[in-house]
Amino acid sequence: MTHELNIITNNPESETCQGNCCCSNPQEKECGSHESNSRREFLQTASTVILGSMSLTLLPMPVTNSTAGNADDAGDQEPGTATSEEKTSNNDGQVWFGFLVDIEKCIGAGKCLTACRIENNVPAGYARTWVERYVHLKDGSVRVDKVPEQGYAGSNLPDVDAELVERAYFVPKLCNHCSDAPCNQVCPVHASITSPEGVELVDPERCIGCAYCVQACPYGVRFINPETNNADKCTWCYHRIMRKEQPACVESCPVGARVFGRLDDPNSELNLRLAEVPTHVLKDQLGTNPKLRYVGLSGEVK
Amino acid sequence: MNPQGDFSRDTRHLQILLVLIVLVGVVALFIRSKMIPLSYGQLGAYRAEALNEIAAHPSKLQSDATCLQCHEDVQEERADSPHVAVHCMHCHGIGENHVAQARSAAKSQELVVSPAEEWDGDFATMIDLFITEDRATCLACHQKVVGMPDTFRKINVKEHLEEQEADDVGSANVCFECHSGHSPGL
Amino acid sequence: MGAAEFVFPNDHHVAWSIMIVLYPYITGLVAGAFIVSALYHVFEREVLQPVAKLALVTALCFCAFATLPLLLHLHHPERAFNIMFTPNATSAMAGFGFIYSFYMLLLLMEVWLVFRPELVDRGNSLPGLPGAFYRCLTLGVTKVTRGSAMIDSWLIRALAILGIPAACVLHGYVGFLFGAVKANPWWSTALMPVIFLASAVASGIAALLVLYLWFCWRRKITADADCVRELSRYLWIALIVAVSLEGLELLHMAYESGPEWHVLQTLLTTKLSVSYGLFQVLIGSVCPFVLLCIATRPQVPVALMKKLSVISGLLVLIQVFSMRWNVVIGGQLFSKSFRGFVEYQLPWEGREGLFAAGCVLVLPLLALELLSRILPLWNETERLDQAGE
Repeated sequence: MTHELNIITNNPESETCQGNCCCSNPQEKECGSHESNSRREFLQTASTVILGSMSLTLLPMPVTNSTAGNADDAGDQEPGTATSEEKTSNNDGQVWFGFLVDIEKCIGAGKCLTACRIENNVPAGYARTWVERYVHLKDGSVRVDKVPEQGYAGSNLPDVDAELVERAYFVPKLCNHCSDAPCNQVCPVHASITSPEGVELVDPERCIGCAYCVQACPYGVRFINPETNNADKCTWCYHRIMRKEQPACVESCPVGARVFGRLDDPNSELNLRLAEVPTHVLKDQLGTNPKLRYVGLSGEVK
Repeated sequence: MNPQGDFSRDTRHLQILLVLIVLVGVVALFIRSKMIPLSYGQLGAYRAEALNEIAAHPSKLQSDATCLQCHEDVQEERADSPHVAVHCMHCHGIGENHVAQARSAAKSQELVVSPAEEWDGDFATMIDLFITEDRATCLACHQKVVGMPDTFRKINVKEHLEEQEADDVGSANVCFECHSGHSPGL
Repeated sequence: MGAAEFVFPNDHHVAWSIMIVLYPYITGLVAGAFIVSALYHVFEREVLQPVAKLALVTALCFCAFATLPLLLHLHHPERAFNIMFTPNATSAMAGFGFIYSFYMLLLLMEVWLVFRPELVDRGNSLPGLPGAFYRCLTLGVTKVTRGSAMIDSWLIRALAILGIPAACVLHGYVGFLFGAVKANPWWSTALMPVIFLASAVASGIAALLVLYLWFCWRRKITADADCVRELSRYLWIALIVAVSLEGLELLHMAYESGPEWHVLQTLLTTKLSVSYGLFQVLIGSVCPFVLLCIATRPQVPVALMKKLSVISGLLVLIQVFSMRWNVVIGGQLFSKSFRGFVEYQLPWEGREGLFAAGCVLVLPLLALELLSRILPLWNETERLDQAGE
C-alpha cells in the first residue's frame, strides 16, 4: 500500500497523526494546519534558524599560525632598533634569515633577474623576482615600468626623456617572506610552509595547485609553475643559503643593492645595514610582517 | 507486543545504514593513516622532508671565489677597483661547464680545458663562458638610464666618446681603448 | 590609467578561472534548493508540497557534481585528497572536504528516507533487474512498518533542520574564502559570506521555479498555481535581500573611497561595465524585480503569473551567475600593483574552457532527468491537463 508521506502537522488534536502518516483511510483524523498561527511560528522559527546559521558561518577561524613576535612597530623602523624589537629568532640559537633591498643603490642592471631565472629554472612569462622603475615626471605624474631581463642599459630600448624627469629610481621586488604570511594561512594542505630558519617555502610534493596562496599574496610574487603544476615563488635560494652561499640575486648584484643575512646574528652585515638608516616594508597596513625591508622606499611603491 | 523488538525492527534500515557509514569511516581513517607522509609533524605541521629535498637542489651560479681558485691574478687586478663587486658571470658567463671541466682536469692532472667561446652578442643567451671586449658588456651597467642613482658612474655614450676624444668611435671595443675590464679606473 | 599603468609580472595570469565561478554557483544552487525543501519539511509551508521532493533531488544532483569544477581547476587533482589527509585548520578551503562530505551524506540520507516507501514498493513489486535495483537501494529492508515510518519522518525533519545551517556553512564558507583575502580589496569584506548566501538562496529558488515549470510543461501537468506564486514571492524577497546586500557593499566602498577605490571604480566602469551594469544589475536585478512585483500580485491571472515567474527565474539565474563572475573574475582583472588591468582569456577547449564549463552545468541536469525517471518526484494525485497551462 502506498503512502502519501505528509509531514507532521501543528494540529494538536490530531492524535493519530503524531508521526505524519495521513492515509486515505477515512477513519483517520484529517491532517490540517492552522493558517493563523503558522505564519507567526514560521517567522519565529525562520529567524532563529537563520540567525543561528549566520552565526555558524561567522565562527572565528584560528587566525594565524605564525611564530613571529609583536608586529606593532614593524612597519617603520628607526636605525638601531632592528635587532631589539623585530623578531630575531624562532627559538634559542635558531638561525633566522632576513633580506634588505637598497633602492638608493639599484642601477637597474637586471643581472639579478637573469641569475634567478637560470638558478631556479623559472619558466618564461613568470618571475620570482623583478625590478620596477618609478619615474616621477615634472608634471607631477608617476610612470611605472619593468626593467627588462637584460637590463635597460645596453639594450637599445627606448627610454624616458630625461628632461621631463624630476626623479626616478629602481625597486627590486621578490618574496617578502612574511612572518605572518597570508599564503601559509590559506594553504589548505600545509604545502606552503615556513622553514625553521624563517624561509617561506612550497612543498612540491603536497601542493595541489589550487592557487589560493597566489590570490592571498598581496605582493604578487607567487604563481603556478606550468611545468611542475605547483605553486612557485622566490625561496631566497634555500638550496644555496643552507650551504652558506648567497642567494643568486644577491650574489649577482654588482652594486650591493640586495643584502641577505642572518637576523639572529647581531654582527651580520644585514643587521649592521639595518642599523644605519630607517627601513620600511611594503603594504605595511596589511600586517603581514615581511622579513624583507627596503631602504629608501617611497609611498608610491605598492 | 514487544516494544524492544518493535523498535529494533523499525530501525533495521537505519542500523544497516549506520554500519555502512561506520565502515566507510573506518576505511577512510585507515587510508588517511597510510597517506600521511612519514616526516609530517616532525618540525611542524608540514612534511619535514620537503626542506631537505629543496635544500638538495644543486647550485648553478658559481661564486667569484670558485673562479678565483684558478684565476688568482684577476683577484690582484681587481683588488682596488670597484669592479671587485662585479660578478665574473656578468662579463664572462656562468661558466658552469667550464668550471666542471676545470675541476675534472685538476683531479686527473690533465691540463685539457675547452677554450672559451666568443660571445655571440645576444644578451638573452647566457652561453657557458665568453671573453669579450664588446662595449655592450660595459654599457649593460654604465649606459646612463633614467632611474640610476647619482652616485653611480654612468655615461651618455656619444657625449663620453666625444669628450674623451676616442679614436675609433664606431668600434665595438672602443671602451678598451682606455679602460681595462678588471680595473677600469684611470 | 595611462602613464602609471603597471601590472605585476605574475598577475598577467588569471589563476582562478570559470571553474571557480561555477563552484560557488553550484553550491549556491544546492543551498538554495535545500532551503526550499526545508521550507516545506521544517517550516511546514504546505503550499510548497508539490516541489518539496523536486527540491531535495535537485539539491542532491547539483551537490553530486560540486566537486567537478574544483577537480578540473586543480593543477594536481590526483592530490586532491590531501585536504582531508593533512588539512590546514586556518584555511577556509581546507574545510571543503569535510563540509562537503558531511553535507552530501546528509542529503543522501534525507533523499533516501523521503523516498524509502516508494523504493520498498518498487522493490517488492517490480520483477527482474529493476526490482533488484530498488531492493538494493532499500538496503535489503523490504517493509515499511508504521513505527519505522514515524521514525523516518522524525529523522527527515531532524536532517532538514540540521541541513539548514549545514547548507549555510557549505555555501557560506565559500563567501568567507573570498571575504577573508585581505590582499584583494574587491573581495575583502565581512559581508561576503552573507552576500553569497543570500544570492545562493535566490538562485536556488529561481532554479526550482524554472525546473518545476519545465517538468510540468513536459509532463503536460498543470503546475500548482499557489505553489508557483509562493515560490515567486520567496524569490522576490531573496532577490531584494541579495541585491540590497550587494548594493550596500558597493555603496560602502564608494563612500569610504579607500586607498584602492580608484582601481575598483575603473574596474567597474570599464572592465565590468557589461557583466555588472548590464547583466547583473539591469537584466538580472531590475527586470526580475519588476516582473516579480507584477507576478506576485494576487489579481494577476494564473497563466501570466507563471510566465512571468519562469522568466524571472531565468533572469535571476543569470544575475547570480554574473555576480559570481564579477566577484571571482573581476577580482583578478586588476593587478595587485593597483596600477593596471589584465585580460581573462576563456578558451573553448581545455580543462577550464567553455566546453568543460558547459558540461559542469549540464551534467547535474542530466542526473536530475535520470533521477526523475527512477524516483517518483511528483504527487500521484496531480491532475492531468491537456493544455498544460
